[in-house]
Amino acid sequence: MANFILRKAEPNDVPDILRLIKELAKFEEMEEKVLLTEKDLLEDGFGDHPFYHCLVAEVPKEQSSEGYTVMAFAMYYFTYDPWIGKLLYLEDFFVMQEFRGLGIGSQILKVLSETAVKTRCSSMHFIVAENNTKSIEFYKRRGAADLSSEEGWRLYEIEKEDLLKMTSK
Amino acid sequence: MNFKIRAATKEDCKEISRMILELAVFEKMPDQVKISHEELERDGFCQNPFFECLVAEVPEEKSKEGFTVVGYAMYYYTYSTWRGRSVFLEDLYVMPEFRGNGIGKGLLSKVAEVGKKKECVRLQLSVLDWNTPARDFYAAQGAQDLTDSEGWHFIRFDNQNLDNLANEAPKD
Repeated sequence: MANFILRKAEPNDVPDILRLIKELAKFEEMEEKVLLTEKDLLEDGFGDHPFYHCLVAEVPKEQSSEGYTVMAFAMYYFTYDPWIGKLLYLEDFFVMQEFRGLGIGSQILKVLSETAVKTRCSSMHFIVAENNTKSIEFYKRRGAADLSSEEGWRLYEIEKEDLLKMTSK
Repeated sequence: MNFKIRAATKEDCKEISRMILELAVFEKMPDQVKISHEELERDGFCQNPFFECLVAEVPEEKSKEGFTVVGYAMYYYTYSTWRGRSVFLEDLYVMPEFRGNGIGKGLLSKVAEVGKKKECVRLQLSVLDWNTPARDFYAAQGAQDLTDSEGWHFIRFDNQNLDNLANEAPKD
């Protein structure tokens, strides 16, 4: 079992967070869609009004892969449901391939759940692509409900161009 | 029809709570509403609010039951690891007798304006598959159905499952 620690991300973790974001995007076959820079991540996560919170997992130098010690991350923020109140929303969750099967993902999920309960969140929400069957099974094994299948919720998005059209009227 | 859209105040929470229930009834899930105006007042008007709200008001006329606040939009900021700041429109509702007057569009445009000021790259929302008027309304503004085109599903851990996860020992 790997020796690892989980901790809150700090500003100097930003290069590693971006590296892991790109690795996850590569896995989702959408690497070219990552437009975020280290500067954005720094300003948006560690400025006056953080838009996100981040947990990172670290292994001691001897166990590292290609010299990296930060090998997993989870990005989350708080959202609101008008029926039940505060929610913890898990935006991204990734463990480098060579460190999987060691309990790191489970531990991250446990810490996130503890955070949710401690901060009075009724629930933890996230989205997952329907073809990501491994992830879906991982979550379902732990009691997650698929609200799209069970209740019919669909995710809609309006891009910047169309948003600007609305504001100019 | 003369209407005004403005930022909600703490005092509007009773009206917002009333309309939240009306929308839940329409969505066929009224028994799932567990919070009242008190939680809204606490969570929306504290130092670091968990949501923001706009209300639509009709100054001269009143609805059948005497209300002047006849619509609302609740939203909050989210983050995309690919593109950064986003806004999520959690609820958008106009009382039935005030529909067809551009109030819904007015609320949505105002949320878009707020998002623009905060440099958000997109607006997201969720809508029920059977709610055709809502799906058409958003599609007319350029919204894409990402559940359809990219297969995204909403997942939830709540209640006992969340507690179990929180108490669970790490697996070997």
